[in-house]
Amino acid sequence: MASTKAARIGEDVWKTRVDKVNAELVTLTYGTIVAQLCADFDADYAEVNRQLDKMGYNIGVRLIEDFLAKSGTAACANFRETAEMIAKVGFKMFLNITPPITNWSGDNKQFSLIFDENPLADFVELPDDGRAQDELWFSNILCGVIRGALEMVQLQVEAHFVSDVLRGNDTTEMRISLIRIIDDEMPPDDE
Amino acid sequence: MSYYFAIIGTKDNPLFEHEFGTSRQGGDGVARFREDARHMNQFIVHSSLDIVEEVQWGGGQMYLKHVDSFRNSHVFSFITGGNVKFMLLVAPDTHNASRASSASTARSSTYGQVSTYNPTAPSTEEPIRNFFIEVYDAWLKTIMSPFYQVNMPVKSPVFRGRVAGAAKKYL
Amino acid sequence: MAASSTGLRYPSNKKTIYDRNINRTKTSELSRAAFAYLFVEMITYAQRRVTGIADLEKRLNTQGYPLGLRLLDLLLARTASSATTSPANLRPTRILPLLQFIHTTLWRHLFGRPADALERSAANAAEYMISDNDPLVNGYVSVPKEISQLNCAAFVAGVIEGVCEGAGFATDGVSAHWAEGAGGGEDMWPGKTIFLIRFREEVMEREEILGRAG
Repeated sequence: MASTKAARIGEDVWKTRVDKVNAELVTLTYGTIVAQLCADFDADYAEVNRQLDKMGYNIGVRLIEDFLAKSGTAACANFRETAEMIAKVGFKMFLNITPPITNWSGDNKQFSLIFDENPLADFVELPDDGRAQDELWFSNILCGVIRGALEMVQLQVEAHFVSDVLRGNDTTEMRISLIRIIDDEMPPDDE
Repeated sequence: MSYYFAIIGTKDNPLFEHEFGTSRQGGDGVARFREDARHMNQFIVHSSLDIVEEVQWGGGQMYLKHVDSFRNSHVFSFITGGNVKFMLLVAPDTHNASRASSASTARSSTYGQVSTYNPTAPSTEEPIRNFFIEVYDAWLKTIMSPFYQVNMPVKSPVFRGRVAGAAKKYL
Repeated sequence: MAASSTGLRYPSNKKTIYDRNINRTKTSELSRAAFAYLFVEMITYAQRRVTGIADLEKRLNTQGYPLGLRLLDLLLARTASSATTSPANLRPTRILPLLQFIHTTLWRHLFGRPADALERSAANAAEYMISDNDPLVNGYVSVPKEISQLNCAAFVAGVIEGVCEGAGFATDGVSAHWAEGAGGGEDMWPGKTIFLIRFREEVMEREEILGRAG
């Protein structure tokens, strides 16, 4: 079964092929990035979300190579398999978490990841300014990472958070939708 | 007894204040300061800061125990690694002794302690230490948030709940 | 915009920062790559908002500073709770214990090992140097070519500055410098960095008074 296989790959890669670093260093560094963005954009949270997504995208397009090399996985047969790889190998490899996959749409083009654990948001309480809890998606960088990484394997997706415990919701949920499969019809290089 | 607790920032600015009364020995946990004592409490705590500053470079202890007294009020202090001061003022209840109520028995027993209140006795220092340590745990969580900046007042009702909980548990 | 502080909403399952054990993530690990990716994004973003390397280093320093303030209390509290008794003799009140805290406790927590050296400047008594032969932020992070002289350890310098100033040791800044021969040379430690800590005069005066007192 794809699910247990992915889980096994994830565990194996995490144990044997990943250099580790103290989790709190990562958490605090991410926190200082978001806080700085909020300061720079004068608490324009929509813009902060956009900036985080952009940073994530940049990370995603670079990270995919590392991901493919370490996981040694071939192309996924379908979007369901892709979801398994993201949740059980991708998130495991970088953040040591495996968010459960839920809420598949009937056409198998949309699913949700539920973040019971989210190391980026450990220690975080959003600003009590009456707006942050309605406007800021603290972990929005993750949406960009997924978008960027999948684009590199010819999948155009849209990803956004629909709820976050930091906003007072009971769960943290990200929705990922497949927009289209990118055709490989790039014009050949001149050389 | 009645308690006034204040967290003072590194620029001697108040970040958080909370009042409560004795909960142990049947106390109801309600502070009974006279209206005009409120201002006085802040004043006493503030002037105790000078003493804290004198001893803060001594041994490096976080819990400084009893640092100051003014009339019947005693001030205890705890200083964090970041030099934020937790100040706890303890004073006897002022105007409740004669009031008859269902809690009068409990209260008079608390009141009866006043004359024997010894701010340097281990039985006084220890519960206050425990109170401070529990508040310190909540304080750490406050300052760990990336949006918390030095000397920002703490408005979280959850934090206040933690302080109240520690007070109820130990004092 | 009115200062509308209506208070925060919390999940019904009480998942607030106050409900988590502060030591929960004490020994947790994440991938070093995740850190490197974030760190590079932080630099790339900062680069767009500054002119010149010095500015960029200053900005990285500023971003590291609050981490120092947080880690100071976090690590002091953890040292305390692992000891037999609750907080006693903990806050560093003299320069040497403070620097040892940085060199050993802070470094171990962040980088899994103590720093490589701690020395006092021969030229200036108010200056101390902590060196790291192979800073994590230099070894693993590849910065864009056009800013290759940048020492990413400026971020760590900010962390150190935050620890010092939080603890009440005002500085004239903490800066990160490539060690001689480092910075892409053929040296054994091409990333070797020296953190220069310059304490303010009032700190040196207090130190002297405390020293005389015993």
